[in-house]
Amino acid sequence: MIRLEEVSARYRRSGRLVLDKVSLELPKGSIGVLLGPNGSGKSTLLKCVSGLMKYSGSVFVDDKPMEKLRLRERSSLLAYVPQDLSFAPSTVFDAVMVGRLSHFGLSPSEADQKAVWEALDDLGLRELALNNVLELSGGERQKVALARALAQNAEILVLDEPTSNLDIAAEMNIVSLARNLAKEKGFTMILSMHDLNLALSLGDHFAFLKGGKLLSFGGRDTMDSKTISATFGILAERVDAHGREYIIYGGKQ
Amino acid sequence: MPQELTRDFPNEMKVSNRIRWMILAGFLLLVIALFFISLMVGSSNMPFGESFMALFGQGSDVAVRIVQKIRLPETFAALIAGAGLSIAGLMMQSTLKNPMASPSTLGVSNAAVFGANVSIIGFAGGFLATGNNPQDFAVGANPFATSSIAFIFAATSTLLVLALCSIRSFSSETVVLAGIALGTVWTAATTLLQFFATDVGLSAAIIWTFGDLSRATFTMDYIMLAVVGLSAIVFFLLRWRFNAVAADERVAQTLGVHVRALRFVTLFLASLVTAVVVSYLGVIGFVGIICPHVMRRIVGNNHRFLIPGSLLCGSALLLLSNIVSHLVGGGTALPVGAITALLGGPFFLYLIFARKGAKA
Repeated sequence: MIRLEEVSARYRRSGRLVLDKVSLELPKGSIGVLLGPNGSGKSTLLKCVSGLMKYSGSVFVDDKPMEKLRLRERSSLLAYVPQDLSFAPSTVFDAVMVGRLSHFGLSPSEADQKAVWEALDDLGLRELALNNVLELSGGERQKVALARALAQNAEILVLDEPTSNLDIAAEMNIVSLARNLAKEKGFTMILSMHDLNLALSLGDHFAFLKGGKLLSFGGRDTMDSKTISATFGILAERVDAHGREYIIYGGKQ
Repeated sequence: MPQELTRDFPNEMKVSNRIRWMILAGFLLLVIALFFISLMVGSSNMPFGESFMALFGQGSDVAVRIVQKIRLPETFAALIAGAGLSIAGLMMQSTLKNPMASPSTLGVSNAAVFGANVSIIGFAGGFLATGNNPQDFAVGANPFATSSIAFIFAATSTLLVLALCSIRSFSSETVVLAGIALGTVWTAATTLLQFFATDVGLSAAIIWTFGDLSRATFTMDYIMLAVVGLSAIVFFLLRWRFNAVAADERVAQTLGVHVRALRFVTLFLASLVTAVVVSYLGVIGFVGIICPHVMRRIVGNNHRFLIPGSLLCGSALLLLSNIVSHLVGGGTALPVGAITALLGGPFFLYLIFARKGAKA
């Protein structure tokens, strides 16, 4: 479970308010999707939650206040996957082993190796374990980053636009993996994305952000044409087809 | 492919790691061999057999004195300083995530050179005992005087850069730029100082900057060994933190790594190693840049192999350069700093252009 209470953040230099008293709560094993135009504060919110940016207000994981915990304690509760992935040249195995750092301290044990192989298997990466991570495709690297976060064995996974820069197949693949991880392994996920249809197929809860303010937060019902219009300034409609729901965009307000 | 599915990847990894350890063992043997060869060559043209016996105190007094009092501290210096410069370069490259980073990225060498110039030109001191004051060149004519003043400036410069970065930011760009700026200031100050030097003082100051292993004494070797040993141990213990920071600083932070503190400690230790080596032996370039890159291509990027590999590669290169500088010099040792670059440069170019792709 993760709970945000009136989280606000400012850019240090300009002092501009980029997040304005955002409060929300996600139950354990659920997926929360942050939606909003560029600059709405999605990435900032995820950075605050992950302790990478200073904020006022509180973030609770299982009722523990994150801002009062030490770095290492925090790392056992929450794993972060940034939007622009960066890796050093290393094998995929070593890249994922980095995720175990808070568990082993100085040197990985047999148990850490086992955890890494498990994380690699969860994401179908075993065959690539000995390859150079820099020689992988964008989709494969996204999986490596996810595997690293899994290996961390934290309850909350924070993913900043995990599907940006991926082709449709890789995008679908990541979304179905994320769903499985939440449903089968009980991870709570908070992630940001731009594609509303992808969000609808993945999320349990939706937070609509605009100008740093939380316009709306709730379950699948929140994803309606009124909220989408208010957030993005476009016309949109939610329709049923073949037993599934879709968002269809159209017109300009 | 069915064959693919039956591959035992954990075992394959063990095998490839074993190969890496064997490569490192090979390097260790090379270093040991070079160490003994280095003891056998020198300006006195003593035959190999006589040198070898002298190492164990057998033979003439002169031979024993040459091998044990001159060649041994010099060879130890090559062993330790080579390892030290190489590990300092690796630490700089890893912590700043910059392949061009070297032991002197923070301007440490420039500061040491300025300090030596102050000592030689300003105070007529230094190992050559020929300062800027021909009337009284005995003043401060002590090899440790120049080294000590060089070290004081190198250490001060390091602390200054680190203090400036502590105030503003420890981002790798800031650290590199601050190092370049401060290094340029020291070089400019050296130029001004040299402008006012006498011919003798100027030549003494310039000769000091040539890396020279023959200045080494056992005391210097012990001090260098302590600093290099400490840095290598700290670096090895923190290796997975470096792997994390090298991948992504933000992720490293969410994994519990104190990125700023790690960077501070690394920059401090790498600069300390450089300050000690340069203050004692003069400027020995290139070892710190080339050796870590050579080892990256041979044993990959995991610091578990890269740290011992860089230590061994640095020792091997400087020992080899010491041997070559004596053999080619014919009775006098050529500046070893130039030899390292002459030997290492072409080999490095070969590695860059001859092989496709880097090892993981």
